[in-house]
Amino acid sequence: MIRQFVFLLLLTPLLALAEPKSTINHPYAVAESTPQSLEMTESLDQESRKVAESSILRVNSTNQAYDFFQPWLKKNPVSRRGVGILVPGGCVLVTAELVMNSNFVELEKATTAEKSSATVERVDYDCNLAVLRPNDPKFLEGMKPLSLEKSLRVGDEATVLQLEPNGEIAQTIGEITSISVGSYPLENLGLLIYKLRVPLQQRDGSFTLPAVSDGRLVGLVMRFDARSQSADIISTPVIRRFLDSPALARFPRMGISFSGLRDPQFRRFIGLTEPGGVYVNEASPHGSAAEAGIIKGDVLLAVNGRPIDQDGNYEDPDFGRVLFTHLTNTVAKLGSEVTFTLFRNGKAMKLRVKMQAPDRSRVVSEPQLADQPPNYVVLGGFVFLELSRPYLQEWGNDWVNDAPKRLVYYDAFQNELPEERGKIVILSQVFPVPETLGYESIQNLVVTQVNGKPVRSLVDLSEAAQKPLKGFHKIEFEEDPKTIFLDAASVEVNKKAFIEQYSLPALQRLKGNKSP
Amino acid sequence: MLRVSLFLFCVFVAIGLQAAEVAESLVRIEATSQAPNYKAPWSPGEVSGGVGAGFIVEGDRILTNAHVVSNVRFLTVNKEGDPKPYAAKVLYIAHDCDLALLSVDKAEFFNGTTALELGDIPAIESLVSVYGYPIGGKRLSVTRGIVSRIDFQTYSHSGMDSHLTIQIDAAINPGNSGGPVMQKGKVVGVAFQGYSGDVAQNVGYMIPTPVVKRFFKDVEDGRYDRYMDLALTFDNLFNPAARKALGLPADDVGVQVGTVYGGGPSDGIIKVGDVLLGIDGLRIASDGTIKLDGESVPYTEVVERKFKGELATLDILRDGSSQQVKIPLSDPWPFALQSNAYDEKPQFVVFGGLVFQPVDKNFMDDYNPGNLRLDYLFDFFVEDGIYRDRPQLVVLSNILADGVNAYAKDFLFAVVDEINGQKIHRISDVAAAFAKPSDYYVIQMLGIGRPLVLERKAVEEARSRILQRYGVTSEHYLKK
Repeated sequence: MIRQFVFLLLLTPLLALAEPKSTINHPYAVAESTPQSLEMTESLDQESRKVAESSILRVNSTNQAYDFFQPWLKKNPVSRRGVGILVPGGCVLVTAELVMNSNFVELEKATTAEKSSATVERVDYDCNLAVLRPNDPKFLEGMKPLSLEKSLRVGDEATVLQLEPNGEIAQTIGEITSISVGSYPLENLGLLIYKLRVPLQQRDGSFTLPAVSDGRLVGLVMRFDARSQSADIISTPVIRRFLDSPALARFPRMGISFSGLRDPQFRRFIGLTEPGGVYVNEASPHGSAAEAGIIKGDVLLAVNGRPIDQDGNYEDPDFGRVLFTHLTNTVAKLGSEVTFTLFRNGKAMKLRVKMQAPDRSRVVSEPQLADQPPNYVVLGGFVFLELSRPYLQEWGNDWVNDAPKRLVYYDAFQNELPEERGKIVILSQVFPVPETLGYESIQNLVVTQVNGKPVRSLVDLSEAAQKPLKGFHKIEFEEDPKTIFLDAASVEVNKKAFIEQYSLPALQRLKGNKSP
Repeated sequence: MLRVSLFLFCVFVAIGLQAAEVAESLVRIEATSQAPNYKAPWSPGEVSGGVGAGFIVEGDRILTNAHVVSNVRFLTVNKEGDPKPYAAKVLYIAHDCDLALLSVDKAEFFNGTTALELGDIPAIESLVSVYGYPIGGKRLSVTRGIVSRIDFQTYSHSGMDSHLTIQIDAAINPGNSGGPVMQKGKVVGVAFQGYSGDVAQNVGYMIPTPVVKRFFKDVEDGRYDRYMDLALTFDNLFNPAARKALGLPADDVGVQVGTVYGGGPSDGIIKVGDVLLGIDGLRIASDGTIKLDGESVPYTEVVERKFKGELATLDILRDGSSQQVKIPLSDPWPFALQSNAYDEKPQFVVFGGLVFQPVDKNFMDDYNPGNLRLDYLFDFFVEDGIYRDRPQLVVLSNILADGVNAYAKDFLFAVVDEINGQKIHRISDVAAAFAKPSDYYVIQMLGIGRPLVLERKAVEEARSRILQRYGVTSEHYLKK
């Protein structure tokens, strides 16, 4: 079953590395693959070498994420190294993960080790891409940008470029084994991925690696599985869309979940005689599909005149059979229209869908909160946050099992919550002070009301906390304890002492809200 | 979790007995049991044997642990020093407090035996002796220790119930289960569970006599009614601001009601936010304890000692005014879903090679489905009141692969919401829905937009083929 929209959320622990030290990091892979890759380096792709020398740069990024358990603090800085590639427009393309939460980014020429600091000019976590611009405008002089490979087929070869510590370029040739729509790590958006079977070795700075072919860019390696020797590559259509659209949101979404239609019993039941088609399980309210009138139970038969098969694929002239969402999420521009032929109540009909980006303000639990400090409110030793995936990921790679169950379920089934539910505000933990006596052990509770006012965001909570009831802050939760009280006057008096005791910079931060 | 590592003192031991005082009352119990296999609910399950201890109590009965005689098919008992096995029967079994009473078919068994008398709760640090047949030899073993702690503990046999428990430091090991713990010639407890040596040293538990006496009294009317429960949760009231806000004096009395479970005895009588000040005239401290027989115990102990239909009198503070309420006690059923069940056959329906089963603890343990939605419904079954709408969660638990169900895999472990438009509240609804003739059977699951559809023709054509191929001896079992 293909669940493009709602259900992929659950796959995250497998796909996105919660604490990615390096996407390519498997020491055992070195020994196993050495003889093979030596052999491969013999057959040097001369074209690729030229490309490599004039178009690639080492990128060093020092990143520091926020600690969601103490949201006023940052965690220890991590440095990541990768290989960036010069693209038209005088900028360097890397994966967004390389520069996620970056404090400082540096470009380094492979052979001369000449350096320039750089600015992250644009970053898009939907497609896991970022462009960097050197702060020294002359730094890239003499280098040549790479153009993008237009079409690719399963079985084609591509060369992955790595840098040796001495600046030598290591090339590893691999073969494209599949081209399909798959989940990108940070936002779980389904976009086109090339899978390349390639015996990559562990080398310094492999967080982003370009793959080239005949002097053109094929894509950037974003994941590598050492066991199957398989690299997931951000595909050129995705890169092109990212480079061509300066707008903040570049990738529209259908906002549906759908299933293949292989089951003949089911096909007969819905009276479908035409071949192929996929069944719409759910069209999320306000999504592009729902706005255009697509409803649950519709069968999508064709997109822009191209028939959709029983698994959801169409025949793409450049890439072969790929999922139709490649056309809607990547090929279609924001605001453009895609025409669907659909089957409803025994009849075929045509419908035009205006492709739109999802409305971020409706997201209940943010899938990622990169490059921004998390919001929080502290009231008398209680720390309040809005539920988000990064908060749950603080429980480690097995957060689905280790994090508090109710919060995991809220995150997983957030699309089923009533629209007016708003954000899930939680009491994350307690820093004991005299006012919290008896409440030391409570944590991770979902807040429903504060001082009689419903809480649908941290801002609601912060405002409600301005108006205590009869001298008390009354805080109500979904689970036990249902109600707790704080002495409002005492909280106010001890505020300063609390800040000093636990070294907090401020009692709240509400600015970092993502603009809708 | 410590609870998980609790083990039960039931083990295979061949024994020879040695005469001793208590020997006149000691019994060796050999049980042949058959636990159902939830993954093949039509099969009667695997047969296994076990040995435990027991002792003779008044009325020619034998007291032992429920876990020694759970799922039993055949039972024999041996007197100390008498090689002859006698066939025995389970008279009453109380899985929620891990106790069982046995009778022996032939009255001659009790000739020359002495019924042991029940004592009271032994004092902390007083000496006790444990009798039984633990590993390490074949004969009766006696170990000595002192009473270390008197507290509430989860009884691992059901996994859900906690009652008063006495911890002793005498060595208790697998094989001690059901054996008496003696002090001054009287029984002060029944050895039943402990920690393995990896977790803790010299920590063994016995069921104290108040629990045993309650069991005896409960079965006086010829049936066991289980423990009663108020079916509510409470929160401590230590916080000075909370006490002031609720209009309570700073006297450390009272706890606040957190959740009142629908369908429980307090539903409609106690409200969320009420403050419980006293129970049956005993003051409830702000940590939820009362003073009973000189010991500080959870106030629920008062309810623990009562029986079905009896009243609990609660002094409560509601909206600033105090009042007294009486609660007729009952045992709230939704909790049973989350405790280990015994002596039950799994319910199921097989249709078109699809196996449907109601979910309970046994089911989850056997299948370990790892389905997030099912986990939610199971974990929060009681807390979120899911039982109101669905007294049973019926899932597609297994697919006996055949052409008819070749595309059902996506629905594995989904909870059945409707079949042909009929709401499914329990497994019997599934059987009823499939019994109604229809060209298509449309099975709608919770949280999945697309229904699973089977054609009647295809189901009928596949029916005998599937039953035969997979050795399914029956297509449903619906009795509870």
